[in-house]
Amino acid sequence: MIGAGVAGLTAALRLARAGLNVTLLTKGVGGLQLSQGTVDVLGYSPTDPATRVANPLAAVAELAVADPKHPYAVIGVDAVRTGLAFLHEELGEQLLVGDPETNQLFPTAVGAIRPTCLAQPSMLAGICMDGARFAIVGLRRLKDFHAELIAGNLARTPLPDGGHVSARHLTIDVPARPREVDSSGLTYARAFDDPEFRARFAAELRPELRPEETVGLPAVLGLKDPTAWSHLADLLDHPVFEIPLPPPSVPGMRLNNALMAAARAAGVRVINGSFVDTPVHSGGRLVSVNVETAGAPRTITGDVFVLATGGFESGALTLDSYGEVTERVLGLPLAGLDAAPLLHGDYWGGEQPLFRVGVAVDPSMRVTSPDGSAVPDNLWAAGGILAGAVRWTEKSGEGIAVGSAVKAADAIVEELA
Amino acid sequence: MRKLAVDVVVIGGGSTGVGVVRDVAMRGYSAVLLERADLAQGTSGRFHGLLHSGGRYVVSDPGSATECAEENVIVTRIHADAVEPTGGYFVTAPGDDPEFADKFLAGAAATGVPAREISVAEALRNEPRLNPGILRAVEVQDGTVDGWQMTWGAARSAMEYGAKVLTYHKVTKIDRADGRVSAVHCVDLKDGEDVRIECTFVLNCAGPWAGQVAAMADCHPVDVIPGRGIMIAMNHRLVNRVINRLIYPADGDILVPVHTVSIIGTTDVKVENPDDLAIEPVEVQEMLDAGEILIPGFRKSRALHAWAGARPLIKDSRVSSSDTRHMSRGMAVIDHHERDGLDGMLTIGGGKLTTYRLMAEHIVDEMCRKLGETRACRTASEIVPGSENQKNYVVTHRLHDREEDRLEDQIICECELMSRQMFVKAWDDQPQATFDDIRRQLRLGMGPCQGGFCSMRATGVALETKHIDIERATGLLRLFLKNRWIGLWPILYGDQVRQTALDNWIFNGTLDIDHLPAPEEEVKL
Repeated sequence: MIGAGVAGLTAALRLARAGLNVTLLTKGVGGLQLSQGTVDVLGYSPTDPATRVANPLAAVAELAVADPKHPYAVIGVDAVRTGLAFLHEELGEQLLVGDPETNQLFPTAVGAIRPTCLAQPSMLAGICMDGARFAIVGLRRLKDFHAELIAGNLARTPLPDGGHVSARHLTIDVPARPREVDSSGLTYARAFDDPEFRARFAAELRPELRPEETVGLPAVLGLKDPTAWSHLADLLDHPVFEIPLPPPSVPGMRLNNALMAAARAAGVRVINGSFVDTPVHSGGRLVSVNVETAGAPRTITGDVFVLATGGFESGALTLDSYGEVTERVLGLPLAGLDAAPLLHGDYWGGEQPLFRVGVAVDPSMRVTSPDGSAVPDNLWAAGGILAGAVRWTEKSGEGIAVGSAVKAADAIVEELA
Repeated sequence: MRKLAVDVVVIGGGSTGVGVVRDVAMRGYSAVLLERADLAQGTSGRFHGLLHSGGRYVVSDPGSATECAEENVIVTRIHADAVEPTGGYFVTAPGDDPEFADKFLAGAAATGVPAREISVAEALRNEPRLNPGILRAVEVQDGTVDGWQMTWGAARSAMEYGAKVLTYHKVTKIDRADGRVSAVHCVDLKDGEDVRIECTFVLNCAGPWAGQVAAMADCHPVDVIPGRGIMIAMNHRLVNRVINRLIYPADGDILVPVHTVSIIGTTDVKVENPDDLAIEPVEVQEMLDAGEILIPGFRKSRALHAWAGARPLIKDSRVSSSDTRHMSRGMAVIDHHERDGLDGMLTIGGGKLTTYRLMAEHIVDEMCRKLGETRACRTASEIVPGSENQKNYVVTHRLHDREEDRLEDQIICECELMSRQMFVKAWDDQPQATFDDIRRQLRLGMGPCQGGFCSMRATGVALETKHIDIERATGLLRLFLKNRWIGLWPILYGDQVRQTALDNWIFNGTLDIDHLPAPEEEVKL
């Protein structure tokens, strides 16, 4: 398994659960820690980005028919359902709640309302419904969360059914560490793991709150202690919810830590700091890759390989100064390059086709060749490396990742059996 | 309608106009400067950051060389905080004529431009990334200058002498009465109010837009031929000195280390409209190839941003030779008395940023001559506000400042080490600014992330200052992201693609910024 984002971790875990011997090679810490920490399946229609999706799985089924180039067309709605169920089971209700048939609307850190179907329990009280009364609370020493911006935009955003939430803002000053004015979300999350800090924080905030208010806070309410947010709500005697921040993402880190721990416990061998290169092929199959890691280069052999390296954001895909797009690890042929132009100059004028470029796969997630050139027989792909979707626009990243991950894993189990 | 009355109206807020209004004010005239956008938003902010030693001109234009050498010393002193005296090398790249260096050294000696040939080994020791195949190297006193900071410094000096500097004021009409200029009309673009300014003299310093301004006084058409040049900022200082090709001036012959980046420039393509400057892919490739000649592996380094500027070239058949007799090299002055029967107005074209002060001196001398007055120029000897301590810029100065205030202040822009208080102060000074206006003064969003992390913070902090409401704050964020993209997508490759994907993931994915309430009308300024 190459890559430790949500796709790589999910696939590795599923393969290990099936009794296979899995080695996970990862260059860095994986993309989950850059994410918002929810599991998105489909938030907006890829053809009409203004249209919010109400039922993600139903929309995936429609999309699979309507757009044969979209990854969901080869993944299929059943695999997405299976993948979500698998992830849900592995993470448990303490980390993931919701219904893949229903998108809910959650506030973002600029005060937009964003659809997703599976969220962390600490976010649930923030679902935007008509008549909700939010107090958005900023921390003076945390610069990635501006309560006035969030409350101002939430209050002026009409809900799809015509209703409104009311939102006011306040900012309090409780240092995460003494004498530190520029604290990261992670620093605050570690502070919130401490019950004494929560008590101190609640003592400052509670007098500021009004009856019937739901309290929106930055998503920093504990990293290790999954009860930190609910304990804080008890101390405040108000419902509390978290709003995800730009990276580093504490909710994403929670998911990452849980999946990584589960993968290791299930027997996955993880080699961190692995910059993968020098693939060796034989007889149409990929035999081994090299990893540059501490100590000395090592050769990793495998019966099958799964590429779950992500897209341009991870460096898995590169565009050079001559306009050449390359899949970095294996130099695979790519789909989506026929769009012209790949980039355009109108920032608000719709997605950039470059970010649809990726690897093509068959319905078992085995890598195929869009241009007839050779690709290894024993190579599968999952997640952001797949061609055909701009995941951040349509809010489909985790759905594509887990759907393709379980589909690839199940196909590999069958193949090796 | 607001009304003002002054001696002189200066039109154009680039380095020339600001230099002129400073000079006019220091000579005791009451003056207003009108700029349709922000100071140095046009040509003066869209160059490569070079403060000429004069070396570039020692063979092709000896007069300019001497002027540059003299003004370099003056600007380095009076604008100390905007100038980094980096020094520079002229190098003979493989394939270039090695004998040009002899002409160069002879020209430098003749024009008073300090220059000294050094060994290739010394050049490579001091600039290890330089092409090891260079054949000769000459050391000169090039520097780098922040055009925005220099222009603002001169503007603040002018204001101390009582001049008004009105940005976002667009000239709409110039009145004449009895063959003389009598008033300038403009509109305050921020609030839509008309302003009428009575005056006895107008100095048209609008650069590539000078023809449009002259037309407002019903003058015969002034032919401005904007020459477009593109520049690309590469992440990091690939070199610590200005590196010039030791050849006759050509495209892509210079690499300039400014602040935290290195800027490669430039091209020269005639265009019709100075407001429509494309960054053509073929020119980007040309610049990257040119960079590769100076610094092997140049294409592998990270390009951050590209921009295009318009040179203010005036080709006017009606300009008689007598008009330019006292003027700086490369500068053209049109006296509208002889040409259009209009007294009290001069139009200035051409020039370069390094000699902006000298140009201003010559123009204002000419105005005084026409007014029959003798008032001495003092701009060369007086330090502008902000440079009083006479310390030149060094690239580490913000790191030093943040070390000083790290226990009291937050860093809003990590790439450029811009603190919250820096931003708040600038915003309090200009509550109607855009984030691009602040960027030009503080480098907000100019580093590797190109606004990915700082622009949301800036929006939040700007809102908290209470100068703007939520609609404007959100609109300013949209505008800033849109404008950043203009200079990003033409050079999007390598690590900057990865950065863009991450930025998109943050803005579209996590923040869902494209589904904030749609603005009734986009914020434009």
